[in-house]
Amino acid sequence: MEFFDFYRKDRWPHQFCPGCGLGTVMNSLYKAFSDLNMDLKNTVFVSGIGCTGRVPGYINGDSVHTTHGRPIAFATGIKLARPDLNVVVISGDGDLFAIGGNHIIHAARRNVDIKVIAVNNATYGLTGGQLAPTTPHNMITTTSPYGNKEHPFALSELVAAAGANYVARWTTAHPNQLVNSIKTALTTPGFTFVEVISQCPVNFGRRNKMGDPVYHLRWIKDHSIPLSKVTFDMKSPFDFMDIDFKGIYTIGEFVKRDRAPYGKTIETENNILRPPKE
Amino acid sequence: MLSPGRYFLSGNVAVAEASLLAGCRFYSGYPITPSSEIMEHMAARMEKEGGVFIQTEDEISAIAAAIGAGMTGTKSMTATSGPGFSLMQENIGYAAMTETPVVIVDVMRGGPSTGQVTIVAQGDVMQARFGSHGDYENIVLSANSVQELIDLTIRAFNLSVMFRNPVILLSDAELARMIEKVEISKDIENVDFNQVKIPDVPEFRPLGRGNKLAITGLTHDERGYPITTDVNVHRTLVTRLVNKIKNNEKMISDVEIINPEAKNIIVSYGISSRAAYPILKKRRDVGLFRPRTLWPFPESKAKDVFEDKNIITVEMNLRGYDLEVERVARKYGSKNFRNIKIIGGEVPTPKHIMEVLEVN
Amino acid sequence: MYPTINTDYCKGCNLCVEVCPKTVFTVGKNLSQRGYFNPVVDYREKCTNFRLQKGQKILCEICWLTCPEHAIEFI
Repeated sequence: MEFFDFYRKDRWPHQFCPGCGLGTVMNSLYKAFSDLNMDLKNTVFVSGIGCTGRVPGYINGDSVHTTHGRPIAFATGIKLARPDLNVVVISGDGDLFAIGGNHIIHAARRNVDIKVIAVNNATYGLTGGQLAPTTPHNMITTTSPYGNKEHPFALSELVAAAGANYVARWTTAHPNQLVNSIKTALTTPGFTFVEVISQCPVNFGRRNKMGDPVYHLRWIKDHSIPLSKVTFDMKSPFDFMDIDFKGIYTIGEFVKRDRAPYGKTIETENNILRPPKE
Repeated sequence: MLSPGRYFLSGNVAVAEASLLAGCRFYSGYPITPSSEIMEHMAARMEKEGGVFIQTEDEISAIAAAIGAGMTGTKSMTATSGPGFSLMQENIGYAAMTETPVVIVDVMRGGPSTGQVTIVAQGDVMQARFGSHGDYENIVLSANSVQELIDLTIRAFNLSVMFRNPVILLSDAELARMIEKVEISKDIENVDFNQVKIPDVPEFRPLGRGNKLAITGLTHDERGYPITTDVNVHRTLVTRLVNKIKNNEKMISDVEIINPEAKNIIVSYGISSRAAYPILKKRRDVGLFRPRTLWPFPESKAKDVFEDKNIITVEMNLRGYDLEVERVARKYGSKNFRNIKIIGGEVPTPKHIMEVLEVN
Repeated sequence: MYPTINTDYCKGCNLCVEVCPKTVFTVGKNLSQRGYFNPVVDYREKCTNFRLQKGQKILCEICWLTCPEHAIEFI
């Protein structure tokens, strides 16, 4: 499959800012699909609102751009109505975890057979760089001009705790590993989740001395450490996620397990209504 | 599925059974009084019919899942009540924008907010039509007996598929629990996708069939590509969405009209309209105009009835359908309007109407 | 085989300059037609795909994978 068999050439170049990490995610997604030889015909891409929500619109297949925060709910409906389809959700951190946080934990609990790629740029990029639930501690956004007083969400740990079958976190500075993880996610049955830490130089980096995409990517690379290389004492996974300018992202595959996916339940024999008397 | 014949069913069970007869094969819902029995019954019956039932985490995902299933060409339904219906509004607008067929049953209860949980009301009539933001039209049906709930549930599925639009069926807490004799006829007409060609309604294409659909809630052109800054694209799209319902009002509207020549016309719908029948038997100067399709307003059927008449609206809310009735009836020269508005759970009785009639 | 930059797509983010382990790219100094400073492929002989083989197999594609605009093509 060529790149422009996967993406719509008539919509290229895309609308994202120069240096946006979404382009890297799009390349990785294409690479994973073409390596696996998957058929676009049997795949539906679902997204919510936000910059990331616009990605499926560029894919040369079926795409559903839904309301804010609800892609998981729509995807659940699509998957259950047509179990033969692959349903892939591509959405951002604000969409999936702020407004749609309820849906993702329940989908992971239910283990619906949908694949989620969450692009975490730690801010609300499309609306102008507001505070997101994933914004690191102390960092500056338009709605936290004196620094973020809150603590960020640990997305991968949250989904792993909710019961997903496969959870991995990579960054846009690790595209090869990301491709492999997307491939594993696409082929693992059940709810799978890949988080991508991505740069947003224009609306997030610019306010945090990382306006150049190169600096932002370098920051992401310097502030991420593979799970296997974690050497210092780790009290809980949440200690890692309380990142600020000195903090760190743990990257790697968090969970790989084989819980039974949500499916059709057993047929029941008892009649609820009696037939009419002849 | 129920075989043709006579049954003794409650309103909620009737809705569930009728939806199966109409070909509904996807139900998602969240429990809420007084609509929970629809969901309980669906849970027991759906999988035997080869469909999918899912209890979602809230009403928002219930309607979202139903719309998602609708996009794949599965007839889908969800049922809810007051507060849940409010949560669903955004996605009802989404279904209208993306032209996805879906049926929503709203079992009305006393509001606002949590209100009267188990008590009947008709306060959702305006929300059913105007609940979501922006310009859109949807089809709202209202039943006044269990038999009619069955007929209108089947019609709701047919209309939603024909017009590619969300259809809302209004039941209420009283009808939901009322057990009545119903008859299921032998020939139920189920309209399939793309079976009926209607102007302004594009062909329905399901997901996952290689159609390369780009579905979006943004303003889009005919390819489905989002174009939000072009005046003409938005104007063309939204005008068509509104016109496909508005211009076909004659085809949609369904009104029970009794004694249209009478000087006094009672306009009522749903459970409150049942108070009118005893009066109609007694008095020749009273007629009834009872829309089964509340929205779009059945203007084509109103012309003959509303010409220079005394209009009495009977409903169970403080501000509702009377506004629309007055707007239409004034066009045809009616000047005398009286509204019987009873809230709190008391269903209007013939006595209420007689009091107003005798003042005349 | 070496990378080229498609100036119709490139938005001049210079991520390819950052990620390339062999420093094949350098930051551009001339404004392109679309108003961006596009990077230049200065040392294509350093590229792994150029050095280690003569065939059509792509050995390293980190710049291609990272480029957000799909502006890099191997020829």
